[in-house]
Amino acid sequence: MILSGQEIIKEVKNKNIIIEPFEQKNINPNSYNYKLGNQYKIVSIDETLDYKNRSIDENNPLSYISEKGLLIEPGKIYLATTYEIIGSHKFVTLLIGRSSVGRLGLFLEISADLGNLGTAHKWTLEITSVQPVIIYPYMKIGQVSFWIPEGDIINYQGNYTNFNIPQNCFFESLF
Amino acid sequence: MILTGQEIIKQVHLGRIKINPFNMDQINPNSYNFRLGNKIKYYVNSVLDTKVKQKVEEVEIDSHGYTLYPGKIYLGHTLENMGSDHYVPIVKGRSSTARLGLFIHVTADIIDVGSYNQWTLQLYAVQPIKIYSEMLIGQVTFWTIYGDIKLYNGKYQGSQGPCESLIYKDFIEDLK
Repeated sequence: MILSGQEIIKEVKNKNIIIEPFEQKNINPNSYNYKLGNQYKIVSIDETLDYKNRSIDENNPLSYISEKGLLIEPGKIYLATTYEIIGSHKFVTLLIGRSSVGRLGLFLEISADLGNLGTAHKWTLEITSVQPVIIYPYMKIGQVSFWIPEGDIINYQGNYTNFNIPQNCFFESLF
Repeated sequence: MILTGQEIIKQVHLGRIKINPFNMDQINPNSYNFRLGNKIKYYVNSVLDTKVKQKVEEVEIDSHGYTLYPGKIYLGHTLENMGSDHYVPIVKGRSSTARLGLFIHVTADIIDVGSYNQWTLQLYAVQPIKIYSEMLIGQVTFWTIYGDIKLYNGKYQGSQGPCESLIYKDFIEDLK
């Protein structure tokens, strides 16, 4: 079951859902609009991403998204984050874009919208575009929904939970 | 929880799910197949600035079909007006069109509870593909909600035909 917007507000007050900072005006009927953080990385300038042979530049620089805007060019993968720290130990988090953004052909996640139970941090967004799109820091770029799970819960123990900056792929998790 | 096809039929008859026009042949085990409407919009600019209102051009799909090319985002729409005040609709592609590399939504498949309109489809092709109006292009699923409901009353409510992005309005509001 998906939580209604009113239920998200309740569970934020109960601290079963973490959204920090939280603004009630960003609540939708079934989700919360999150903002874009101000840092980004570009995954790689190499054309072929070969994880087995480690062709990714693991030192790809962290940059700031200028107030004048960042051009997202097709054919590249940009890693940014949510501005807010988001998560829950009780509800499953699903992060997607907003339809206003989708209507411009901007992807915020590449087929992996599912969060893990128990983890709360700034989420890495995998941004790609169909046509070039200019985005701005702190714009309301996506929405997060919360779902009631069924069954016993063991909280996430994996690699990405400690990071609040755009985080590259951990190669080890691929094999 | 996701509604079964039989439950969708029940809820349509009770008026708790609205699908107009509704056709029983389009029910699946856990979803409903919807059709493509006959209008397509695309942006005039190739670079899309989220802060700026974007100009669009609109075309009508005729009997010869319409070709979508990679590298461009096209906005289509459902033939049906759909929505619910009780369940959350989530739009998915159909595997038949997905197998041809056609995306029908980019990143936002959740429809707000309380919205009722022809849904805008964000069409993106991996390879050039010809589409036809009234084709069965996607499916909608319905999910139960937990908690008090405050119905959608936003900028896309009641929209007919494809509706381009209104995100530039966020920046104007923020300045107020």
